[in-house]
Amino acid sequence: MVNLTIDGKEITVSKTATIYEAAKEAGIDIPVLCYAKKLLPYGACRVCLVEVEQMKGRLIPSCTTPVTEGMVVTTMSDEIQKVRKTVLEFLLVNHVIDCPVCDKGGECDLQDLTYEYEVVTNRFEGEKFDLPTDEVNPLIERNMNRCVLCGKCVRVCDEIVGYGSYSFINRGFETKIATAFDRGLNCEFCGQCVSMCPVGAILPRPFKFKARPWQIKEVDSVCSYCGNGCTITMGVKDNKVQTIRFNDKIGVNDGNLCIRGRFGYSYANSDDRLTTPLIKKDGELVEASWDEALEAVAEGFKKAAADKGVGIISGARLTNEELFLLKNVAKAIGTENLDHSGGECYKGVTEGLVETLGVKASTGTFPQVEDADVILSIRSDFYETHPVFGMVVNQAVKRNEAQLFIVADKKGKFGKLPNAETLLHKPALEVNVLNAMAQALIEDGSAVTDGVDGLDELKKSLADYAPEKVAAATGVPAEQIKAAAKALAGANKSAILLAYGLPYTAQSKEIAVAAANLAILSGNVDKEGSNLYLCGEKANSQGAIDLGVIPAGSGQGAQQMLDAAAAGSLSALYVVGEDMVTSYPDREKVEKALDGAGFVVAQDLFLSPTAQKADVVLPAASFAEKDGTFTNAERRIQRVHPGITSPGEAKTDYAIFELLANKLGAGLSYTGPAAVFAALANEVDAYKGVEFNAIGAQGVVWGGEELKAATKKVVPVKGAAAVDGKFVLLTGSALYHSGTVSTHAKGPVAVVPEAYVEFGSEDATVLQVADGDMIKIKANGAEVQLKAKVDKRLPQGVVFAPYHFAEAGLNKLYKGEAAIAVEVSK
Amino acid sequence: MIKEFIQGLLITLKYLGPGHTTTVQYPRKGHRLQPSDRFRGLHRLVPDHDREKCVACYLCPTVCPAKCITVESAENEKGEKYPKVYKIDLLRCIFCGYCVEACPVEAIEMTGDYELANYHRDDFTFDKKRLVR
Repeated sequence: MVNLTIDGKEITVSKTATIYEAAKEAGIDIPVLCYAKKLLPYGACRVCLVEVEQMKGRLIPSCTTPVTEGMVVTTMSDEIQKVRKTVLEFLLVNHVIDCPVCDKGGECDLQDLTYEYEVVTNRFEGEKFDLPTDEVNPLIERNMNRCVLCGKCVRVCDEIVGYGSYSFINRGFETKIATAFDRGLNCEFCGQCVSMCPVGAILPRPFKFKARPWQIKEVDSVCSYCGNGCTITMGVKDNKVQTIRFNDKIGVNDGNLCIRGRFGYSYANSDDRLTTPLIKKDGELVEASWDEALEAVAEGFKKAAADKGVGIISGARLTNEELFLLKNVAKAIGTENLDHSGGECYKGVTEGLVETLGVKASTGTFPQVEDADVILSIRSDFYETHPVFGMVVNQAVKRNEAQLFIVADKKGKFGKLPNAETLLHKPALEVNVLNAMAQALIEDGSAVTDGVDGLDELKKSLADYAPEKVAAATGVPAEQIKAAAKALAGANKSAILLAYGLPYTAQSKEIAVAAANLAILSGNVDKEGSNLYLCGEKANSQGAIDLGVIPAGSGQGAQQMLDAAAAGSLSALYVVGEDMVTSYPDREKVEKALDGAGFVVAQDLFLSPTAQKADVVLPAASFAEKDGTFTNAERRIQRVHPGITSPGEAKTDYAIFELLANKLGAGLSYTGPAAVFAALANEVDAYKGVEFNAIGAQGVVWGGEELKAATKKVVPVKGAAAVDGKFVLLTGSALYHSGTVSTHAKGPVAVVPEAYVEFGSEDATVLQVADGDMIKIKANGAEVQLKAKVDKRLPQGVVFAPYHFAEAGLNKLYKGEAAIAVEVSK
Repeated sequence: MIKEFIQGLLITLKYLGPGHTTTVQYPRKGHRLQPSDRFRGLHRLVPDHDREKCVACYLCPTVCPAKCITVESAENEKGEKYPKVYKIDLLRCIFCGYCVEACPVEAIEMTGDYELANYHRDDFTFDKKRLVR
């Protein structure tokens, strides 16, 4: 710690602090333009100049100068005032004064400073900038005439996002921020540059001319897309979510967001939303009143329950309270057939981790990864499913020089980071590689074996997975496997990352077990700050597991329910917040199940392909209309707040479940989400003691920052065999989309409007495929047509297609395999 | 004393005669008064070539103490910001002139138009069509 005096105030701060940070801590305000909490000090704007007694004779930039013992700082004097005013005058020489039409007006740092320092005239004259603006792309609007060259966009894109879209070009007065070759933006469109820009040079285009900052009501909530649980602050006006506001003060994401979080909100405002209940009459869905619809649902379920039973399949984007009520609805119906998210993909947590570590969740929290020195990411898709967690990894690697290993069947964003090594294996062989790493540790004796159960069986089974053997089968060099294993075992703090979700159904449990084995053997489980992360694809995947929205007792899982319904041995299906036809593996089976079940109720925001097949459709509400809690992939329970009201007669799932339970005669009545949470906290051990209204801005992490493993049991797990075929199709998540709901959001759709099939550049040359060509893909007796996209990510013989799009019908081919041998033709 | 009295009365009588009267038979004779330049009557949105001068910056509805101005901004074909909707509810307006003062582009001013009475409530809502003159 260092002691110093700022404006006569004696303060003590950590020795890594800068003068600016020390002043801020002491509540002393120093103006800045180029400083941002999460970026490295830069010192571009010279607005933060202060006087330091020990460095007399010149003014010192406070944002780049570290504090020293006994420093005496003055933050305001006549000279400082004069110099700051001059700096502003310089900035305003070329800066166009179009505050009346600039959307930043009202929250612009330059405008505020100009006002504060009373820069009413300018002693300098110069030409105003007249640069062309970039309004080509649909999400990020760039007007470099308003730029003050603080470099925040350049730095955030490089330091945090790790993309590097921007750079300074030209020199002197002509310096400006530009992309490579000064072309349009073609990036991840995460909008981090938008949130960083202190002026109106980079703005969110969907929000263009929509409102002034002071007219907007800010509502903090949690993003409903992935399991990262980022805080998003909705800007609400006219009962619409107009934009997502920058907020780095609360939440787990430090103000970082991805395209889905920042630009994916618009599905809540969509005109395609369902606004009234629908009932199928003479083969057509017609509008009905809530009373009629609920009556029909209750009648149908009662009849079905008395017949062959009811199955309930839920999505993982409902709040904890809603999932709890759903369980009560299931009880009221009298069924144990309750499941979520296809019933298979989460088994890595509910079975894999339970069998090995005895826990049902990730063991650590996100910020801990930033301090890790070795990170192992299983699948390169981790960045695609959890981009903001990916940004934490970026920082660990780029700022703290962590070593990153990626076990993946394709290259990806992570692989481009410095210190990153991709263990590129043939598709579907993740387990083999992880097993080989475990074997390598056992072989060279560095494996942690104290207090580990099941070691003998594991050793026996791992005999088949000697790195050399696996190298031949998977294509990953044995040396690389050994080196990765060694680094992982030698790390002070390590992190193992794995995402699960609907497109990663295959070997869900096996991969998790293999990862847990490796975590145990490498000492990851024992070391403080070292953790194993299993991250759900949806906002409340963890909550669904915590609350036990999984088959219990004699209940059937989602896949069994679908099988049963298809075979006619289940009378009714209740599908809540899932578009099974689009996103579940094996569309044929899902459609058969929906046809086979005598009575289908769909509860959704949109008339999805699943809802179209339903007998009754209930219009539900989006996250922006809900009050409740989500539990993110690091076990953090966070509050969701409503910003707008539902369109038409749509109701929240909470309200629907309550009404339905009452129709079923269960008499379910709570005073609100707080009461429901209190009830569920009573039933779920992990949530005991957590109080709804006490959940603050940072949420509450159940189980503590580090969840202790209850057991340490290694379990033998079999790898897979490589898929034969000239071409192998992988499916997964695209960075710009999440689940199916983002296909209704303008932002993500503007960037990736339709399904595609991605080719590696080598294959593309051989097949003479170019971007945009229509490609026929045949497998499993079905054929789909997709537009081609050529990239450099994929190794030879591998093609990739994202699963989000209903029209594409990818799940006609994909039936739950890790990789599918396909025939590809033009 | 009587002399002074008569003198005074003569002045009074003189002003009763034609050419000297300041009383106007309003509105019977169709007189239109010419208020001072500083009079604050009905608002006017200043036109500019092919559009209104207003850039929909929202300063006037923000400063308006009576909250009688409604603005909705939008983007026109040229990519410029313009007021898609601009409405003043004269029933609420207190004619304080703050909107004129706040306007950064001198797009709104107050005219001498004072004959604002009307028969229907709706007629007191002045939209862009009636304000751009």
